[in-house]
Amino acid sequence: MSLLRRPPPDGTAPHEYNSKKKRKVAEIYQALNSDPIDVAALRRMAISEGGLLTDEIRCKVWPKLLNVKTDDLPPAPGKELREDNEDYQQVLLDVRRSLRRFPPGMPDEQREGLQEELIDIILQVLQRNPQLHYYQGYHDIVVTFLLVVGERLATALVEKLSTHHLRDFMDPTMDNTKHILNYLMPIIDQVNPELHDFMQSAEVGTIFALSWLITWFGHVLADFRHVVRLYDFFLACHPLMPIYFAAVIVLYREQEVLDCECDMASVHHLLSQIPQDLPYETLISRAGDLFVQFPPSELARKAAQQRVERTAASTFKDFELASAQQRPDAVLRQRFRDRLRVEERTKSFLTKPRTNRFVKLAVMGLTVALGAAALAVVKSALEWAPKFELQIFP
Amino acid sequence: MEAAADLESSLELSYSGAGPGGLPPARSRIFKIIVIGDSNVGKTCLTYRFCAGRFPGRTEATIGVDFRERAVTIDGERIKIQLWDTAGQERFRKSMVQHYYRNVHAVVFVYDMTNIASFHSLPSWIEECKQHLLAGDIPRILVGNKCDLRSAIQVPTDLAQKFADTHSIPLFETSAKNPNDNDHVEAIFMTLAHKLKSHKPLMLSQPPDNDKIHLKPEPKPATTCWC
Ligand SMILES: Nc1nc2c(ncn2[C@@H]2O[C@H](COP(=O)(O)OP(=O)(O)OP(=O)(O)O)[C@@H](O)[C@H]2O)c(=O)[nH]1
Ligand SMILES: [Mg+2]
Repeated sequence: MSLLRRPPPDGTAPHEYNSKKKRKVAEIYQALNSDPIDVAALRRMAISEGGLLTDEIRCKVWPKLLNVKTDDLPPAPGKELREDNEDYQQVLLDVRRSLRRFPPGMPDEQREGLQEELIDIILQVLQRNPQLHYYQGYHDIVVTFLLVVGERLATALVEKLSTHHLRDFMDPTMDNTKHILNYLMPIIDQVNPELHDFMQSAEVGTIFALSWLITWFGHVLADFRHVVRLYDFFLACHPLMPIYFAAVIVLYREQEVLDCECDMASVHHLLSQIPQDLPYETLISRAGDLFVQFPPSELARKAAQQRVERTAASTFKDFELASAQQRPDAVLRQRFRDRLRVEERTKSFLTKPRTNRFVKLAVMGLTVALGAAALAVVKSALEWAPKFELQIFP
Repeated sequence: MEAAADLESSLELSYSGAGPGGLPPARSRIFKIIVIGDSNVGKTCLTYRFCAGRFPGRTEATIGVDFRERAVTIDGERIKIQLWDTAGQERFRKSMVQHYYRNVHAVVFVYDMTNIASFHSLPSWIEECKQHLLAGDIPRILVGNKCDLRSAIQVPTDLAQKFADTHSIPLFETSAKNPNDNDHVEAIFMTLAHKLKSHKPLMLSQPPDNDKIHLKPEPKPATTCWC
């Protein structure tokens, strides 16, 4: 429905656009109605242009993407829910301040009712899963589900999401979250080493992307339609996809970043303010492409490899220090960097020229939307956790 | 949505305390100040108040670290004050906020005068700050916020003062909200800036400024509420 109101992309005539949409709606229903339900097709639809198109469809497809049975929802919470829950106060504070997440014209009374439901969903999921810990920003994710599918179903979806995609963010500490953030710079480095080096010398860190990652961009995007479009994408993909999307946004803003003063404050400030008019469909397909080209396993290997080289180069425990967020001596680190970079460049010149990657990227642009790479992305989503896969295809 | 725009534009809104004669030098010094304290004590409101000149209509939970900045002129010297507004929830400070402790020139501890628990958290904030800061003696101040909520005060001034004295940290009680207190929030941060300016060894070296116009009277630290 939102697609209808938006101007069609790349000069497609409106009627053509509408018929494309109609076709997609039909395909989605076909996948939903086939026996067994064609979940892989639904994933492709959720990734490809426009995502799942309407909230009505999302209500039907999101549960399938998460393998949640809609006829077996958790019971409504009892009154004791709020009584001795250690997170209640923090949840309350955050939900009360989350007015911006609700549609602008919504009457106060209705919004307040939804805020109460939001608190209940969060507390219920936490209560049923004592291993999960609340974090500020979790409420930004839950509110999206509440607004799209309603309280009961949202509880079930959020519970599944929290024990899978968001699991790392809900540990007792944020060490794993930090670890995931550590993927950001290597991805950027693969595509645009100049940008990477600039950010590195600004020592901007990755905290600017923290709220993007742990709220799936729900905290920073003002237009709800963009948020749900992204959720379609992320629900269909590997749980690390949000970090690829974060990288794609930074890469998209290359010029702005390079024009910025090279210091932590300026770059952090620039990047933490997301432009609201991003070309979401293009960025989504780029994120998918990047994921296919540089899958998490490869990035992890690179990180590990770098670690060996660096620690071998010196007794200086650069890597450990960096991961402990303590700053090693900047000069020393720069020296390592420079040498590594020379080595890397020579290596990549001999094997796989970097420029090729740019070309490849440009050529592959939109392939995810067209479905070819989408398959790979979908496949990787299933490879991610065998347990999860079993749940999807019992 | 409007609130987001508000918060986002605080950098643009930042105004200078420079008088008409205050020509900005080529490169102004930067004072980095980190603002810490429990969730909901009003860190975002205080930093916004100082940088944008008013109380924000709405705030949201801070996730990670937000950055605000304002240029001021002190004794004729143009100085950028950078405020790092941090998340209050414990899990963030444990692993995320450390990055921002480095190179800071001053620390502002905030508690909520209407919430005794936020006051009781101060020792752990102070302890943590000690652990992260390499330079031992950087200026620190303690701010009790929300003094406008008179009937709800849980932290009496004498208790807070005693605590402040024990730790030798100057105490201010204020309100980010009360419009009459605008000058006060301003005075608090300006006091800190003055302190930093006289705390030269820590700062970037800067060509001396011979134009010594005293634009802002040195505010006196207050230990009572100015509401
Ligand atoms: N009455 C009153 N309310 C205030 C004042 N300062 C802040 N508040 C309110 O207190 C609540 C929390 O303010 P924030 O600035 O968001 O708190 P914070 O410390 O940044 O919280 P976190 O980001 O969660 O760490 C908001 O609802 C503000 O409106 C004040 O001086 N007086
Ligand atoms: Mg805040």
